Amino acid sequence: MRYIKIYLACLKTAYSRAAAYRSNFILGNLMTLLSNVLIPLVTVLVYSNGASFPGWDIWQALLIQSVFAMSSGAASMLWGGILWSTMGHVQEGSFETVLLRPLPPLFYLAALEFDPESGGLFLGGLTMTIICTLKSGAAQPENILSAILLFLAGLAVMGGLELSMAAISFKWVGNSRIPEIADSIKEFGKYPIEIFPRSVQCFASIIIPVAMIGFFPASALLGRLPAAAYISVIPCIIFFLFGIWLYDRMIKKYEGVGG
Amino acid sequence: MTAVRAENLVKSYKTYKRGSGFGESVKSFFKREAVMVNAVNDITFEIEQGTVCGILGPNGAGKSTTVKMLCGALYPTSGSLDVMGYSPAKDREKYVRRIGAVFGQRSQLIWDIPPIDSFAVNKAVYGIPDGEYKKRLNEMTELFGVEDVIKKPTRVLSLGERMKCEFIMAMLHSPEIVFLDEPTIGLDVIAKNRIREVVGEMNRRGVTFILTTHDLEDVEQLADNVIIINHGKKVFDGSLGSLKSVLGSKKLITLNLNKPFSGNELNGAAVMRDEIGLEISLELDTAKQTMPEFLNSLTAQIDFKDITVRELPMDMIITKIYTE
Repeated sequence: MRYIKIYLACLKTAYSRAAAYRSNFILGNLMTLLSNVLIPLVTVLVYSNGASFPGWDIWQALLIQSVFAMSSGAASMLWGGILWSTMGHVQEGSFETVLLRPLPPLFYLAALEFDPESGGLFLGGLTMTIICTLKSGAAQPENILSAILLFLAGLAVMGGLELSMAAISFKWVGNSRIPEIADSIKEFGKYPIEIFPRSVQCFASIIIPVAMIGFFPASALLGRLPAAAYISVIPCIIFFLFGIWLYDRMIKKYEGVGG
Repeated sequence: MTAVRAENLVKSYKTYKRGSGFGESVKSFFKREAVMVNAVNDITFEIEQGTVCGILGPNGAGKSTTVKMLCGALYPTSGSLDVMGYSPAKDREKYVRRIGAVFGQRSQLIWDIPPIDSFAVNKAVYGIPDGEYKKRLNEMTELFGVEDVIKKPTRVLSLGERMKCEFIMAMLHSPEIVFLDEPTIGLDVIAKNRIREVVGEMNRRGVTFILTTHDLEDVEQLADNVIIINHGKKVFDGSLGSLKSVLGSKKLITLNLNKPFSGNELNGAAVMRDEIGLEISLELDTAKQTMPEFLNSLTAQIDFKDITVRELPMDMIITKIYTE
């Protein structure tokens, strides 16, 4: 109950912060949405020129990218601030302001850095997911439930990825390429996994299961995901727990900066 | 009762020598030489509950590192630390509930929103009941005179206003020990005095304060005890009175003269004088020469119209300790 109260208090603060700069909030939402909508446009261009992802029609291919956008939006709201905030605190030597709170630092940062600006991306992704699902004629209730489960697993993967990268920033101080590494790894979840070589398929479904961000939930919605693929939920949870463990461990390496 | 006990406290960092100039930069790109730095080097001290302890030292002495270890933000490399029965870094979550901290150069307020919204987050974080929160907030805002300020966005506040709000943020949950890391840095005299008054008032109510500062007035007005750190080592630990007597029984004597004086020595003491030589100052060691003897000898040697006798200023004492 205490944690819920704290999370809600931080959530209110996050929206107050966003409301302090109204035009930035609106433009931020729009820009994030537009920049992510452009990726499905590439798919549209590919299909309109006669090419395709083998075995996937245009609505099915767009569905993967819509689910990916929705997952990215939700993950960015929940975890996105942790990486940037940790990097900033470590570089400026102000992480003690986090450690002074009687809370797990990860929880406090996740609550305080909740990112309302990614709400536009989440809603845009959700809308596109609904449209693509209807166009694909695949809205079966059991498929939706499976997709929600896998969507949550996808959030865990992105959480694990953000936390691992944030943990690295304790050692790799001020390296602005860290978020780019995280984004590059996530890219594999945006396309049908069959188009990649076997080694990449293995990496994206077991080692860092980024296929869970877009491909697996979309396939579940379409009812075309083999039962064996659900095993990938386990590495997602392990990866998330690994991120938490690594972050907590790396906090001990925090050294501050000169006063 | 002892509130803080530090024994053989050490904090070491590994840094890398990068060199300067193009050649050394290229060389360090491939191979860097690791260097261990002892920011805090085998420090032992105790701080009594209900006191104000000033931690002094030049830049880079290890004061802030010591305070960060005391706050539980940094793990000591070795040695032991006990604050109110807690090991700060190991018991961090339980321990920090009972402490507060103000970092003069690191804001805890949320930049884009009014301080009162930051206070509301702290209310939830520390689980402060509604009634207690309102009472404490009213009391603190009244003490600092910032009833209206707390409703303006933090980014538009002056440094003095922001520091007062930082104090309120640190005091809302009624901490037993408060760490102040350069709390008056950059503030004007009025803001400094207000902060000192509130620290004094809170200390009278039983709150222990541990203060690092470069402003010796903070120490003179607030501290019961002083710890001086230099190059990571403790060089002084005692009361303010014993700090003042550290250079022996010296007095600073200032004379206003009727005629300019141009000598470098008077009555066996080195002379410091103003540009025209109508005001001179001397350091008298009363262990070597009593005041009556000195004055008798002085009146025979020089014609003066006024004389002031003072304790050596704190900055002279501190400078002497730093440079030793």
